[in-house]
Amino acid sequence: MNIPLDTVLTASPRQPVNQFALFNRLRQNLFKNAWSEFRGSSVVRPITILISSIIVITFVFGLSLGGFYFFIFEMKMPPHGFIIEMLVGLLFFSLGVLLVFSGGLILHGSLFSAAETAFLLSKPVDADQVFAYKFQGAIAFSSWAFLLVGGPILIAYALMAGVPWYFYLALPLFFLGFVLLPGSLGAILCFLLVNYLPKQRKQLLILAIVVLLVAVAAWIYYVVRENRALTRSIEPLSEAATQLINRISFARSVWLPSGWVARGLLAAARGDLLSSLYYLALVWSNGLMLYLVAAWTSTHLYRRGFNRVSTGGDIRRKHGGAWLDRGLSLLLPFVDPGTRLLIIKDFRTFRRDPQQFGQVLLLSGMLILYFSNIKRMFVRDIEWPFQNGISLLNLIAVGLLMSAYTGRFIYPLLSLEGRKFWLLGLLPLSRDQLMWGKFTFSMMGTTLLASLLMVVSDVMLEMPFEAMIVHLVTILVLAAGLSALAVGVGALLPNFRESDPSKIAVGFGGTLNLIISLGYLVVTIGLMAGPWHLFLATVPNPEEMTSIFFYPVVAFGLFCGSCLGVITVLLSINLGIRALNRMEF
Amino acid sequence: MIQLDHVTKSYGTKTAVSDLCLDIGPGELFAFLGPNGAGKTTTIKMMCGLLFPTSGTVRIGGFDMVREGEKARPLLSYVPDQPFLYEKLTGREFLQFISDMYGLPPEYGQERIATVIRQFNLEAFVDDLTERYSHGMRQRTVFASALVHEPKVLIVDEPTVGLDPYSVRQFKDLMRQQAQQGTTVFLSSHSLDVVEELADRMAIINYGKLVGCGTLESLRNQAAVDGSLEKIFLTLTLPDDLRSEVV
Repeated sequence: MNIPLDTVLTASPRQPVNQFALFNRLRQNLFKNAWSEFRGSSVVRPITILISSIIVITFVFGLSLGGFYFFIFEMKMPPHGFIIEMLVGLLFFSLGVLLVFSGGLILHGSLFSAAETAFLLSKPVDADQVFAYKFQGAIAFSSWAFLLVGGPILIAYALMAGVPWYFYLALPLFFLGFVLLPGSLGAILCFLLVNYLPKQRKQLLILAIVVLLVAVAAWIYYVVRENRALTRSIEPLSEAATQLINRISFARSVWLPSGWVARGLLAAARGDLLSSLYYLALVWSNGLMLYLVAAWTSTHLYRRGFNRVSTGGDIRRKHGGAWLDRGLSLLLPFVDPGTRLLIIKDFRTFRRDPQQFGQVLLLSGMLILYFSNIKRMFVRDIEWPFQNGISLLNLIAVGLLMSAYTGRFIYPLLSLEGRKFWLLGLLPLSRDQLMWGKFTFSMMGTTLLASLLMVVSDVMLEMPFEAMIVHLVTILVLAAGLSALAVGVGALLPNFRESDPSKIAVGFGGTLNLIISLGYLVVTIGLMAGPWHLFLATVPNPEEMTSIFFYPVVAFGLFCGSCLGVITVLLSINLGIRALNRMEF
Repeated sequence: MIQLDHVTKSYGTKTAVSDLCLDIGPGELFAFLGPNGAGKTTTIKMMCGLLFPTSGTVRIGGFDMVREGEKARPLLSYVPDQPFLYEKLTGREFLQFISDMYGLPPEYGQERIATVIRQFNLEAFVDDLTERYSHGMRQRTVFASALVHEPKVLIVDEPTVGLDPYSVRQFKDLMRQQAQQGTTVFLSSHSLDVVEELADRMAIINYGKLVGCGTLESLRNQAAVDGSLEKIFLTLTLPDDLRSEVV
């Protein structure tokens, strides 16, 4: 057939497209349909989500209210003064750093790996519009926790400090303006890394190891030098506190967005509306400017980066790391070969997904950074009871990380098997083995990571050896219970429709698992580590204390916590196995 | 309508497509064949602007896909082997989204949506969320969305996988009808019987290199064999030792 090209190209009528409005309509439709499905579902689901949110908000709010009461009314700190401003700055700085990395990681997944992206990029839409659409989703997804934690803290402050009404109005505006900055920075970093990171993975790995080794060496040198200096001159408490404040006062620097937010919010709290508006304008103008830079970067680097991600490596890249699998296999001699294979399969899937292990590394790295800095801030400067309290708080922080890990990565495992479950179903393995396999995989990973973090924390705080034992036993019981809960609830309330693990984790079953896990965490730590830390708080010097195991309450607490762990494991796994055996695939 | 001019695409050190030249005119139904991993999907992704050629040029409707992609993309529709649908949209909302994306005027868009709904028998489920669709329903919705804006180039990757015989028949009629209306149809498939029945011309690619291109008769001459497309395909793609056993 011979048809002239001009005739073909001018066939059907077209009009200019407002792509911004187009994506808005898409988002509205998706939201509307998801909402009507949500409303049509059982009331248990929305009520559980509501109760879960209320528990988290109340907990953070209550804790913050107590903290600000202590600062403002007990310690007589000025409610609009330098220290509070610095604390607010520190809050925004830490959350901002977290947002840069988590936003960047989520954006990487949604811009370069999602099926939707390939669909959209083959259509007549601009790269920056696709970026804008995905950016909004990623930022909303990565900053909801930011609002859930930051909101109650600042409202607690507002109530204690007695601020004017417009502080409450300024709060969400500062929040929204602020998230644009780390979000855009994360996006720009993501585009630059995707486009310019060297393709040779081995060279890159060697470079990363060298940088890491140099950084660790420098850090050890710095800590040792500082420790010697501290040993030579034991400073009074006030001087140590001043030193601590100096170290963290960078967070309210006038050059940092966290500083603008802190100054702006404190100005609103003082009743200085004009200054507050000035800082609000500063946050928004810089946020929007950085967002524009990110959007401009996307016009030039998005399609190029997509091409590079799709074809960066060899077409049939050999995936190495078999030694890691062999190492894991050697650690599991007590597991039957079939279950061991399932564990290694889950491990391979995990380590080959940068989005998954990246988040674990990020959170663990931040905790290690914090633990290592604790030493410089407190040892020899602050009295023993404080050190004791901080080690308990560190145990809770590690427990929260474990609960986040099991909720985010272990709970979705069974749901992710859903569409290909027939394959596992045909293998000569019982479903019990599948459950125990996932439990062992989770238990091993969680125990190794959490034990490492806890040992670092206790060594840095120079805690007694017995403290380390109590903490490690608590970690073991926590790992077992949290893993069993994640696997068990994962089998009881799976989500076979969703293929994105992060979305499975924030669904109904994931939220329920998180709440049960948090409850288990509080009770276990309360039973196992709580009595011992309470005893220690009454002792002026830990060296004067007889062995902890002679205190009946401590030993009884450890026993009760271990029993709770065993019951949780048996109950969760058995309920999970029953649910799994009833399922049809 | 589709021009590939000495196109090469490398993945790291491996070459997926090597010095490929194709020139496909308006209204032509062109089939693209090759064994697994021969470079078909890579070629298609370059034609859609998802991948960039390492060297050479891909033109759609005369526009360079890398430099003038924004002018080329409105002309084409791509139906991949694993098509995408928004799970939380109904079929009708998805078709509306595509219509808006291609800038069809509202009334004309509604007319087109109604036409493709009828054409693909979507009436029974078009207002349900696509997450509830079966494989066949999904395929039909994706085809409907690919045609709602009347593309000038239709690129289809493995379209008949999982379709029942009636749907395959419908698909074949549709492809022929599209070509007759002036749409260039680029069809990548392993179903040699479908290709043999439909295609005006076909190209066979092996290890990224073009090993044969033309009408069925011309391919017979190139392969120096007489017989079906299957025999030609195996002759041109199998290594010598296997060829003597199979062909």
